[in-house]
Amino acid sequence: MNAVAALDLRFLQRPAVWVSVAAVFVAVLFGMVLVVATGASVPKALAAFADGAWGSPYAVAASINRTLALALVGIGFVIAQRANLTNVGGEGQIAVGGIAATAVSLYGGAASLPLPLSFLWPMLAAVLAGGLWGAIAGVLKARVGTNEVISTLLLSFVAVWMVYGAVQSESLLRQPMTNTATLPESQEIPDATKLPLLSADADTPLNAGLPIALLLAAVVAVALDRTVWGLRLRAIGLNPVAARRAGLRIAPTIVLVLFLAGALGGLAGAFMLQGDQGSLKARFSSGYGFDGLVVGLLARGSIAGVVAAALLFGFLRSGGISMEMQAGVPSALVLVIQGVIILLLAGAAFWIDRHKEAER
Amino acid sequence: MSMLAEPVAASASLAAMPALLSLRGLSKRFGTLQALDDVSLDIAPAEIHALLGENGAGKSTLCNLVFGVYQPDAGTMSFDGAPYGPAGPAQALAQGIAMVHQHFSLVGDMTVVENLMLGQVSGVLRRNDYARSVDALSEEYGLALDPRARIADLSVGERQRVEIVKCLMRNPRLVVLDEPTAVLLPAEIEGLLAVCERVAAKGCSVVLVTHKLAEIRKVAHRATVLRGGRVVAHSTAPAREMVQLVRAMIQRDLDGLAAGAGAMLGAAAVASPVGVAHRPDTPETPSPASDEALQVDGLSVVDAEGTRRLENFTLIVNRGEIVGVAGVEGNGQAELAAALSGMVSAREGRFFVRGRDMSGATPKALSAAGVGVVPEDRHAVGCITGMSLAENLSLNRLDRFKRFGLLDRAALRRAALALMERFDVRAAGPDVAFGSLSGGNQQKAVLGREISTEGLVFLLAAQPTRGLDVGAVEAVYGQIRAACRDGAGVLLISSELDELIDVADRIIVLYRGRVMGHCPAEPGQRERIGAMMAGQAA
Repeated sequence: MNAVAALDLRFLQRPAVWVSVAAVFVAVLFGMVLVVATGASVPKALAAFADGAWGSPYAVAASINRTLALALVGIGFVIAQRANLTNVGGEGQIAVGGIAATAVSLYGGAASLPLPLSFLWPMLAAVLAGGLWGAIAGVLKARVGTNEVISTLLLSFVAVWMVYGAVQSESLLRQPMTNTATLPESQEIPDATKLPLLSADADTPLNAGLPIALLLAAVVAVALDRTVWGLRLRAIGLNPVAARRAGLRIAPTIVLVLFLAGALGGLAGAFMLQGDQGSLKARFSSGYGFDGLVVGLLARGSIAGVVAAALLFGFLRSGGISMEMQAGVPSALVLVIQGVIILLLAGAAFWIDRHKEAER
Repeated sequence: MSMLAEPVAASASLAAMPALLSLRGLSKRFGTLQALDDVSLDIAPAEIHALLGENGAGKSTLCNLVFGVYQPDAGTMSFDGAPYGPAGPAQALAQGIAMVHQHFSLVGDMTVVENLMLGQVSGVLRRNDYARSVDALSEEYGLALDPRARIADLSVGERQRVEIVKCLMRNPRLVVLDEPTAVLLPAEIEGLLAVCERVAAKGCSVVLVTHKLAEIRKVAHRATVLRGGRVVAHSTAPAREMVQLVRAMIQRDLDGLAAGAGAMLGAAAVASPVGVAHRPDTPETPSPASDEALQVDGLSVVDAEGTRRLENFTLIVNRGEIVGVAGVEGNGQAELAAALSGMVSAREGRFFVRGRDMSGATPKALSAAGVGVVPEDRHAVGCITGMSLAENLSLNRLDRFKRFGLLDRAALRRAALALMERFDVRAAGPDVAFGSLSGGNQQKAVLGREISTEGLVFLLAAQPTRGLDVGAVEAVYGQIRAACRDGAGVLLISSELDELIDVADRIIVLYRGRVMGHCPAEPGQRERIGAMMAGQAA
């Protein structure tokens, strides 16, 4: 993570960063109160949380793998946000990415390709599928002005149910039914199409997704802040009419931006499938898209912020699962904490804006 | 209009009367800006008092203090002999002070009487009873108004009357009118002034806030001039002391001003000192040899509601020529500008830039063809206030600042510094937020960007001096003239007739989307143009 954080440490000087940190702190305190309310012991819950989140090399690696999917969706959100577009379709983009990666891994001949093509080819399919899924909303927005918040959200529901459909039918992606206990999910994808582990040591399931995500984060950070393209996105986001007058092409940019956001969502789907899940299940996307959206919101427009928020949420998720298993605290507690963070940040943003206005 | 026999005679006694509203030593500061500095002023009962000053002189701030929007940092106010310090507009209204703002607050889909009842009545709506009282009031003050008409169907002048009636329904003792003439036709201004006289005759004081002294001089009993937040002149006979008052407003002698600056004050319309302004050495009639910058052929524009906003507009603008488009706002100028800048596509007709058909071309293609556009709405269309000055100055040519695929910020800054120097854009540096610049500097920046368009052939400038102070106005004129000298054809759209007469070579008049007529840009044509602006074929 150092490589990305080193890109720009100035973000630490922004009050927004400290507001975020304070919000997390308050939310965790609130979570502790809820733990007490459920009758569980706080030290035990905390110990279980720590154990699951960072208690072992395996736990850390698992948390980081969760982080990757969240970060990719968050990066996509930030790109769209720069053009004043709100992509809330991460969930669906993950889902179509997962479907495409599964299909290509199992039936697209990926397994017979040499490394690294064998795992890159399903990944590319997922990127294209997610991108096209996002681009649908882009075309609707550019052509007829459909609000992208609505279209991306509704497209998500469609995509999530497409996963259900795909794993229910043997003519689609369901594994062959050998007995009545065969689960409605796809076959395990071939090993060659899975993301290679970074170390031979099976204790740390860190995989090739990590360097890919880091590279993408760096590329996007540079593209947004240090290229003409990034400046154009900002111009279009701030004032589309003036941008159009200045000769910037609005409609193609909207489509491209939502394609990119969707493509990153699709890639997140590929990471989840080719990383730790291994087969497409009915609840494949399991809320990562919506969590990724929150990561994007918390980042307040900066890629470094995405990385920080994704790490936070990735570790929260791991810890939450462990807390439920070891301390009997419902893992929904983590969702409550996430919700409180969002409320606090939204409130803080509102309060800061009002304060600024009053100063003027 | 009804004539008050001798406003000057009446005003002599005003000073002796106990003031209705008395302001003493008012000061108000916003950040580093001293908006008002030790302002003292008396408004006598039943007086029409003109509050004069340029943009930024502190007129609005003063009104807002009186109306309770802001509280003064120092100083006292008294109203009708008692200390007065409204905590908000509601208290000001309760005490009998009403204000007609420049921007109306009316609900377009509701009728006149419904708008008047808003916030005034509760319980069962008795529209007819209320309409009768509106009728009675309209009758009393000579404000022709149909209480059952929908606001959306009314002209701007009629809407203003609704706002005035809204004030008068409260039986105020003092009415403040903020820039009331800005939106009106000449004939409507006369009507407004007649109403003001009647209101004053009934014993209610009227404060007219304006920077166009000439328009209201006939009815003003007294005048006070603000400049830089201070009272700099006071007159008990404003009609006779026009020149001195104008000088006080701008601290420059009217005779020494270019007529364009005079036009901002509305003085050129009446005062003789301003004659034909020095016009740069552009030919009166373009020589046949000069080629066409812009040719418009039968352009028609239809808006989203299907209303024809521009009808069969045909025009040729030659290189090195400035053509003025006159007309009261809302008569097709905005649609003409939008079509010529590629922001909307015309329903019918075509237009050519140097012979190339550019109908339906994108703004990008127009820029590439050498078309510069200074849009009417600077903030919405001309610039991006959230970005830096440097970014705005090169907004339409960002491709030039690519180096190894990255944005070359140093080059962007250098380009900005060069343009800031050439167009006298004053800012702390190229990296300041565009929104932090003054209106004049923002406009100079937009103008600079558009004039420096590569291979400029045609410049479209829509209301380029709106809201600017005299210095900036002169700078903008100077740049437009220079662009014209350098061979560009210019189409100048303005609602300021005197600006057009000063700057343009010839003038066309738009009325309800049609060209009412053409004439040379000469002061002698003022009457004729005015008639055409009001829809009378000349």
